Amino acid sequence: MAHLAHYRESHPLPFVITHWINLVGFILLIFTGFYIHYPFFPNFMSQARGVHIFFGFVIVINCIFRVVAAFFIKSAPAEGTRTVETDIHSWLPQKGNRHQLGAWIKYYLFIKKTHPLGAKFGVPQKISYGLIPFLILFMGYTGLCLWAPAQQVGFFSAGITLLGGLAGVRVWHYVFMWVFIIFIFIHVYLANIEGLSPTFMMFLWKEHPGLTYDPETGTITGYDDLGGSAPKTEAAPVAK
Amino acid sequence: MTTEESTISPLQARLDARGVSRRTFLKFCVAIAVMAGLGKAAAPDVAQALEKSTSGKLLPVVWLELASCSGCTESTAQVTTPDIASVVLELISLNYSETLSAAAGVSLDKARTDTIAAGGYVAVIEGAVVRGWDGNGLRIGGMKGTDLVKETCEKADAVIAVGSCAVDGGWQAGYPNPADCCGVTEFLKAEGISVPIINIPTCPVNPDWLVAVLVDYIMLGKLPELDDKNMPSLIFGESIHDNCPRRGHFENGEFVYQFGSVEEEKGYCLYAVGCKGPQTYAKCPITRWNESISWCVEAGSPCIGCANADPTRTTRNWVDTMTPFLKRQRNMRIGDLYFQAAPVAATVTGIVAAALVCHGFGMKAAGRTKGGADFEPIRTYDAKKLKQAGKEAPTTPINEGNVEKFTKGGDE
Repeated sequence: MAHLAHYRESHPLPFVITHWINLVGFILLIFTGFYIHYPFFPNFMSQARGVHIFFGFVIVINCIFRVVAAFFIKSAPAEGTRTVETDIHSWLPQKGNRHQLGAWIKYYLFIKKTHPLGAKFGVPQKISYGLIPFLILFMGYTGLCLWAPAQQVGFFSAGITLLGGLAGVRVWHYVFMWVFIIFIFIHVYLANIEGLSPTFMMFLWKEHPGLTYDPETGTITGYDDLGGSAPKTEAAPVAK
Repeated sequence: MTTEESTISPLQARLDARGVSRRTFLKFCVAIAVMAGLGKAAAPDVAQALEKSTSGKLLPVVWLELASCSGCTESTAQVTTPDIASVVLELISLNYSETLSAAAGVSLDKARTDTIAAGGYVAVIEGAVVRGWDGNGLRIGGMKGTDLVKETCEKADAVIAVGSCAVDGGWQAGYPNPADCCGVTEFLKAEGISVPIINIPTCPVNPDWLVAVLVDYIMLGKLPELDDKNMPSLIFGESIHDNCPRRGHFENGEFVYQFGSVEEEKGYCLYAVGCKGPQTYAKCPITRWNESISWCVEAGSPCIGCANADPTRTTRNWVDTMTPFLKRQRNMRIGDLYFQAAPVAATVTGIVAAALVCHGFGMKAAGRTKGGADFEPIRTYDAKKLKQAGKEAPTTPINEGNVEKFTKGGDE
């Protein structure tokens, strides 16, 4: 077993915060969304709608901030390194992703025994992260189409007609929420199945020892025990 | 050729004869003025216009009934309860109506052709245009219904499509639409006939809205303000939900979950039993029906969204987009298979979740759950390239235990 060191450089603090906002926002939006879809217990509608509309705006603004910030904030282009470059580079396809889509699929299907070398994200991961902002904006747009004060604004009424009237917009908004839920399931699963260190990094900004990686050459360069302050992964005796 | 002009006794005399006081009449004028978008202050003008139009030529109207249930005629005529609206409707000269005209046969048909020849009339269309069987699905007086619509609408000053069927096909055009029904707008567009159209959906049409449109037309000589679907903006510009008398219960989260329950008795919101009020734009809660006595939601039924219409898209008729009436969300359809999005989406998500759990057991069995598998020493693609160049590619997987053997010795 092996994994790369997790450094704070891979997830700078602003992105830890936007991720927190996403987590809280999604949970509240999905719950209140289900409630607005069908009020499965009484006496909560105006609260549910208030929370839903408020966090809808929060998530969309957060998403726009996250995308814009990617052009300004620097982050590590891979795990296992403290070198940084503009974050958008690791969001878009990188040199390290080349020829690796097949490798990742084979790895997850247990055909390939060894962990593929990657860039910051694996190829399927990168594709899904690339689509998420569009999904959030689509949800924000259809959400506003269903929000009475926006319904008669031309930008939204045109979309309502395009998507099949308000009944149609409701179906789009609803079905894509399930796409979100499926994404979250897969995301949470893949982020944690090989150990919880990515989660500690993402939420608590806690570094974790592991292999070091050179994004220039695309090779493993050694092992960083974080100055011995953190224990090494079990069953990983250093063989000289 | 001219038609004989219908004349009528002074309006006040007629109102008196029906026991309608001046005060009641003026109240009605206020309602009409507001609905026509003129504001309360215009009520005297409305009264004056109505009085003035009692002398001289009345506005000739040809009322065609196509594929319909006659509900719109019933709603408009309200034969059992003549009200002020019906008095005012006598301000028009209904020259042709299959249901209401006293004349029949050839003489009735002559009334229609004479009106068309004289021009300056308004065509009111009730019911869907039947295009099926080359237009023979609906024949009136030996004529194809499609020809009848063409002939009548072509020379009209304006066409008023009353009721959802005339607007976009309504339930007549519901899937699978075997008679190939459509609304007036779509039909006339396909025929290349350009004439101002006013769409007044709902099932049946609300007589007060028709009166408002007609008064607007008689008074100002022009059509009321219309939205992008040619529906009067003032009538279809606000959602039922926003004007609903049960809205307070909605905000409080007080819902009827079952008919016959205590909640229903208390008059709670009908959202949970499928009310389509939030998706439906119409002034039903304000105008109401049957002499403004009541309307669907007030009478205890969830709104079924009959004011939803898309004049240029027959497939978006309100029945296809609003059913099932008692469920929160419309049905989806693939071919002849109807389904709700919720159980399908939940099932797909459940399958994904189950697959992830199975995959998790696989990961555990493969020993990857504590840090993942050992790394490939080199990308497979690069290894292939090296081999093609006749060089040797490293093959030993790298992990924490052996990493220093393969690197320069912990140069980090």
